[in-house]
Amino acid sequence: MTFLVRRLLLAVPVILLVTIMVFSLLHLLPGDPATVILGQEATPEAIEAMRANLGLNDPIVVQYLKWLGGVLQGDLGRSLVDRTPVAELIWQRLPATLELTLGTFVIALLIAVPAGILSAVRPNSWVDYTSTFFALGGMSVPHFWLGMMFIVFFAVKLGWLPASGYVPFTENPLANLAAMIMPMLATGLRESAILMRMLRSALLEVMHADYIRTAYAKGHKESFVIFRHALKNALVPVVTTSGLIVAGLLGGLVITESIFSIPGFGKLIIESIYNRDFVTVQGAILVSALMVVVVNLLVDILYAVIDPRIKVGKGAEQ
Amino acid sequence: MKIKQGKIALSILLAGSLLAAGCGDKPAASDPKSEGSGTAQKTGGTLSISLDSDPPKLDPFSSTALVDRMVFQSIFDKLVDLDEKGDIIPMLAEKWDVSPDQKSYTFTLKQGVKFHDGTDFNAEAVKFNFERNMDKASNRKNELNSVEKVTVSDPYTVKVDLSQPYAPFLSVLTDRAGMMVSPAGVEKYGEDFLNHPIGTGPFVYKERQKGSSITLEKNANYWQKGLPYLDKVEYKIMNDANVALMNLKSGQVDITNKFPFKEIENAKNDTKISVINESGQGYQGLHLNTTKAPFDVKELRQAVDLLIDRDAIVKVVLSGAGSPAHSPFAKSQFAYGDSDKSEQPNVDKAKELLKKAGKESGFTFTLKIGTSPTNQQVGQMIQNMMKPAGITVNLEKVEFGTMLEQAKTANYEAVAIGWSGRPDPDLNIYDFAVTGSSNNYPRYSNKEVDRILGEARVEGDQAKRKAKYDEAMRILNDEVPYIYFYHDHNVFGLSNSVEGFTYVPDGLIRTVKLSKK
Repeated sequence: MTFLVRRLLLAVPVILLVTIMVFSLLHLLPGDPATVILGQEATPEAIEAMRANLGLNDPIVVQYLKWLGGVLQGDLGRSLVDRTPVAELIWQRLPATLELTLGTFVIALLIAVPAGILSAVRPNSWVDYTSTFFALGGMSVPHFWLGMMFIVFFAVKLGWLPASGYVPFTENPLANLAAMIMPMLATGLRESAILMRMLRSALLEVMHADYIRTAYAKGHKESFVIFRHALKNALVPVVTTSGLIVAGLLGGLVITESIFSIPGFGKLIIESIYNRDFVTVQGAILVSALMVVVVNLLVDILYAVIDPRIKVGKGAEQ
Repeated sequence: MKIKQGKIALSILLAGSLLAAGCGDKPAASDPKSEGSGTAQKTGGTLSISLDSDPPKLDPFSSTALVDRMVFQSIFDKLVDLDEKGDIIPMLAEKWDVSPDQKSYTFTLKQGVKFHDGTDFNAEAVKFNFERNMDKASNRKNELNSVEKVTVSDPYTVKVDLSQPYAPFLSVLTDRAGMMVSPAGVEKYGEDFLNHPIGTGPFVYKERQKGSSITLEKNANYWQKGLPYLDKVEYKIMNDANVALMNLKSGQVDITNKFPFKEIENAKNDTKISVINESGQGYQGLHLNTTKAPFDVKELRQAVDLLIDRDAIVKVVLSGAGSPAHSPFAKSQFAYGDSDKSEQPNVDKAKELLKKAGKESGFTFTLKIGTSPTNQQVGQMIQNMMKPAGITVNLEKVEFGTMLEQAKTANYEAVAIGWSGRPDPDLNIYDFAVTGSSNNYPRYSNKEVDRILGEARVEGDQAKRKAKYDEAMRILNDEVPYIYFYHDHNVFGLSNSVEGFTYVPDGLIRTVKLSKK
């Protein structure tokens, strides 16, 4: 429990640092948000009025502190574009990205775990070669290209699935799955390749360990040895990679979301950057940072569950 | 959680109000087949239109994005509209009289028109809208600068007084400045009206999913009897033109507002879709900073102009989705034509000009371009076109906001910024060429041009106005503060199941007469 508290407390300065960096970087960018918001026709007076209205004339530290003060009270500010509360914007966009992330990750696991185990257990067999071939393919083929190919094949040629468009799960679960399966597959295949390679090499290493030989010598069946002994130990690097993958997906699904027109979190960040909607970008990145912190926390807890030897709490004290 | 509950409550409310609206009296003659127009169009159905970006603000008052106007066409009617030829026709204003001194316009309004919230459209509403748009916080203020006073003469007559004659005045009212929003709605929602747009248009705003879609439903009490044909219009946001095309092909979308240039040829063989490739109102080209070396020398500006092969740009980059330009006037504008004579690139003549300017061996300049692939391709082509005369071009990619700011502060040598265009020629040239105007990025100043363009905007006679624009262009094409490359085209993809589509030069998709087979 102290471990959890310690981890949570550690996250606070990290998040604070992230906010400072994002805030200053955005404000150091050339180009005036008022100009962008008002467009080509705006008069200098209108731009000046807009700057004052947005509080852009305050020193950056003051702007930051004002914003942070709001955040601490649960107020992420209002979008510069349409004055919608940023929290609401994020709340609207999160479900799609969370679902996409989860689906992508599950697909990646479903493919990577059996393929990784098989190719590690039978190295240099046809199973190994085939899955290595597909893994390399999966890593090399850009997933946006794969996404486009899926659309051409499944939506345009066969007409089985909608080419794009998003329906919330709560509204129509079937339509939701039909819309999400292609983007999940397109990204999932790529992530599965990475996971599979990771699992294979971790397993291979473990399989040569003394305790595995001992297990075999005791007459255990192969499946028992693999699942009860080898896999458990090989999982640590896989969990690390998984954590990185999930954390990456949460904010990094921009391209997939664009291709399949899914109103997700990544798209929100990109649109807001494009519109110079600083307030929304700040809020979104803050939430993004929070999510990464949470994922990392989960990964650390998982370590301890998988391998009791890793006592993170005590390890950190030494 | 609060937000979610709010959303549900809102949906229930909306659904309830829609149900209530549906139970009301339906217009008797809702069968368009009996209208005797010859072509029988089917009623009902949902039409999907893909938009290349999410319209940020659904309120004409604050709108800055071009894409907003696509959705506005369905929700808000305007005082006057444009027809296919680009001429001004009545809409909510049945007719108008212009005083002999051209300084006052008296509009007679259509009677019996209601806003979506059930309130009346009348002279008071028009006055309210003018005054709202003339407020300093409004993005329409510039367009209505010439308006001095708006008076309600009787419930359906409005008089608008201008401080001085302003020829483009009516054309301004064909777009956002002429869109009528519900005064009661503005009062109710205040700043948040942009999330609750209420007009008199053929479709009623129902809901939106930010970043994904905007849904509108048929206005059952629309003032044009029998219209609209469709039950529902759905705008779907698809940032990538190729993705939109794929959706068009698979039938998920009926119209796309952007079409990938490279696919225009291929689409001709597709039996399920067609392509609309028509001239818009805008243009693309280069601003040259006349206050800074090297382009403070006229000959050097002329030389660069002479080296540009417009046909090649249109063919290679746009695959024909544009037409070569030497003027800011679009094909639908009366000023188009004579000033737009095409001149072929001429390296020898350009070299002579360089010699005259004392830059025999050429010179170097930096060209700022936007970040889109089209911008980059145009930039690279210019780079190559300059080479034969020994001119070296350094390309500098700049994000749009930064580019605008640098252009406004004249912090550049050459910058590629186009203009989306407006219906009246004045709005395509005045602010760009007159001394000290807001979009005069080259900081060009010529008393003669100022005088001519000033006269052209107060002249009532079209033929005389055109002569003035020709005269101004003769000077501008010689002095070259701006190099025109091409007139933009609007390229739409259209499913063959769509009926009733007519192209209007402002490039906006009017949904009122559309139907699906």
